[in-house]
Amino acid sequence: MTTQGIIVLIAVGLTLLVWILDLVRRDRLYVGYGIIFLFTILAALLVLVVPALLGGITRLVGALFPASALTLLALCFIVFMLVYVLAQITVVSNRLAIVVQELAIRHTEASLAPHPPQTNRRD
Amino acid sequence: METKLRVLVAIPAYNEAASIATVVERVRESLPDFDLLVVNDGSRDATERILTQLAVQTTTHLCNLGYGRAIQTALTYAMRCNYDVLITLDADGQHYPEQVKALYNENLGAGWDVLIGSRYVESHDYSRSPLGRRIGMRLFSWLVRTVGRQHIYDTTSGLKIIRRSVFEPLTRWHFIDFHAEAIVYLLRLGYRVGEYPITVAERAHGTSMYSLLSHVTYPLKTLLILLIAVVQAELTRRSQR
Repeated sequence: MTTQGIIVLIAVGLTLLVWILDLVRRDRLYVGYGIIFLFTILAALLVLVVPALLGGITRLVGALFPASALTLLALCFIVFMLVYVLAQITVVSNRLAIVVQELAIRHTEASLAPHPPQTNRRD
Repeated sequence: METKLRVLVAIPAYNEAASIATVVERVRESLPDFDLLVVNDGSRDATERILTQLAVQTTTHLCNLGYGRAIQTALTYAMRCNYDVLITLDADGQHYPEQVKALYNENLGAGWDVLIGSRYVESHDYSRSPLGRRIGMRLFSWLVRTVGRQHIYDTTSGLKIIRRSVFEPLTRWHFIDFHAEAIVYLLRLGYRVGEYPITVAERAHGTSMYSLLSHVTYPLKTLLILLIAVVQAELTRRSQR
């Protein structure tokens, strides 16, 4: 890769890094998700500045070209994130359902409970 | 001295304004000794207003959670209020509340953990159902027999008599519609599930909870959750040993 390409990609990586950290700081992104992106960006930057690493990864995954190895890793990451995000949505959805059910039951129980006698007395 | 059992009739209702008043009145007439609870599953029509007018005990979900969750709300409520038996009934008026007493007596006599009001246990004849449903009924009946080791002819009936013994197991896990997957789960855990013949009326108002798309997705979802139910039941059994 040309020096210009490396500089552009490092700039993109650093911008993403700052964005992720800012989202975590403003409580717009859960710190656990921030960690995942943080490590992914740092790993990508490492591969970018140490070309030997990319060669090693290419041989490890059995790809013919470094670009193919990178595409494979990117696809794996996207699929992993997709499953992870859907699992998190399911967890949140289940929690919401439990809250709605609990609220409904408590409301019914409260409506059945005998009301304390009301008086006009002021202590 | 015989102790009187506390029985709760639960009717899950979603957008059933056209039929809910009739169903509630018929339950009140046919089953005066039993308490009644309508689980309003986030209806957007006049169901809630009608239930208020009827002064029926109602528990209302703020949003639609689906049939399975509505049944679980009823189960949790029955558990907390110390009911011994929970009877579930559809809100569309297809079930005859007049037949529930016979089902209940059979349940008391035979000691089933769950007794299903079955449309097919006597005739074994699915031919009156639409083709899609007929295939589904046969498929799930076969699956329950294969993995649950018991033939259940009507896996999708909404009329069930549920004993206290299974309240907790049925709230432990999220079932889609309390149909084949819940039956298999209970059978694999060693609970007794039976069927008792009933007749049903044609749906007079509203639409079925199964849309055109769900005719494709429902069997797939149930198939997957049914297989997971087998694993889940096995894990539960091992953890209880």
